[in-house]
Amino acid sequence: MDYAPLLLQSAGSLVAILALAALAWWLKLGGKTALTDEHDVARAAGEVDDGFEPARVSISRGGNAALARDASGRIMVIKHHGNKFVGRILTPSANVSEEVDALIVKSGSDTDSARFGVVRLSLEDPAYWADAINRL
Amino acid sequence: MPDFSPTQYAVPLFVVAIVIEMIWARLKRPESYEPMDTLVSLGFGLGSTISGALFGGLAAYVFIEAYEYRLFDLGEAWWAVWWAWPLAFVLDDFKYYWVHRAGHRIRWMWAAHVNHHSSQHYNLSTALRQTWTGNFTFGLLFAVPLVLLGFHPAMLAIVGGFNLIYQFWIHTEAIDRMPRWFEAVMNTPSHHRVHHATNPQYLDRNYAGVLIVWDKMFGTFEPERDDEVIRYGIVKQLGSFNIVWSVFHEWIGMVTDIWRAPWKYKLSYLLREPGWTHDGSRETSDMIRARWLSGAHRDGNSHLPSNLQQNAIAPSEEAA
Repeated sequence: MDYAPLLLQSAGSLVAILALAALAWWLKLGGKTALTDEHDVARAAGEVDDGFEPARVSISRGGNAALARDASGRIMVIKHHGNKFVGRILTPSANVSEEVDALIVKSGSDTDSARFGVVRLSLEDPAYWADAINRL
Repeated sequence: MPDFSPTQYAVPLFVVAIVIEMIWARLKRPESYEPMDTLVSLGFGLGSTISGALFGGLAAYVFIEAYEYRLFDLGEAWWAVWWAWPLAFVLDDFKYYWVHRAGHRIRWMWAAHVNHHSSQHYNLSTALRQTWTGNFTFGLLFAVPLVLLGFHPAMLAIVGGFNLIYQFWIHTEAIDRMPRWFEAVMNTPSHHRVHHATNPQYLDRNYAGVLIVWDKMFGTFEPERDDEVIRYGIVKQLGSFNIVWSVFHEWIGMVTDIWRAPWKYKLSYLLREPGWTHDGSRETSDMIRARWLSGAHRDGNSHLPSNLQQNAIAPSEEAA
């Protein structure tokens, strides 16, 4: 197989890809979204898990992340992803740690949780959430 | 017969169309694009081309061998038989419907196809978000009957290329609805937005490539509702722009499930629908829809599709 045409085509495509992505940045597409109140959190939580109805929420300062707990005790962590929000329902293997001004939450111990990443939240009531997550 | 790949010639048009859509987005809906998402989607497109060149040999070999056993012979100059082209196009589109449906209903196939759906955005760059691992599924077998009928593999590759080109333009929010007659017969941006949605009532619907009539014939059609805001992506959104993870996450999940499952369930994790588990710990699209239907019924079913409003508990939806 002659790989030269494939390499040439791939190089050209790569240039076009980088140019289009640069154009998207230059045009300021995307923008920022933030969680401002419990309705925003409820909407984001419902998009993560249809039917999830938060009974208690805490929004990280800046609105880039949140924790939500429903009536049955399930806890969801929501984070900013691009200009959208994504979330995970925490499992018993979820990990939480406290720093001076932040709660660090990892949704579980599997590969998906690792790729989802840790979520750093700056909350008014970190102790409540740390305790709740540790009780899962 | 010249060596002809329609998609290669269409690439410059794809680039121009994306630029035009980006300008539209700048003016009307900046949130419809996300630069990192665009970069990943286009990276998928490049990787898919490279992967196809490297691993597409097996499919070509199978088709060429199968062609030797064809039932009907269009002759040495098969490419000059004019009526064979539209016939091949329609039959290939019919094949596409089924291979696409399998891509959503069989986890092995979904592992490769999920890449096309893992963006939370819906724009022309999403159309180029093509799989790197399609050659590692049995999807090619869906085309074998057409080869055995007598359609030359090159003819099928060409009409398949045009099918793919058609599907490019329907990945947009910039077009609301096409004329009514067009919406009735053809796949359109409206129909395909439904296909990319994660809203429970839209899950696993509108598998069509070019002709939406296949979905209407086989009970998988769902019209777009104006009062329902569409959420794009997959049920469990990735939350990562890592392209390697985006390519392989479902393969890793599937292999992990097979490894951990009791022996009698291992094959089911390969061949049953995404979300299926032997212990019921996850949800399939049917389960999500059923849960949503019961909730909508409880809440007065105002958001149910019109065909389901009369009986939300026993909907007339297909069981696949």
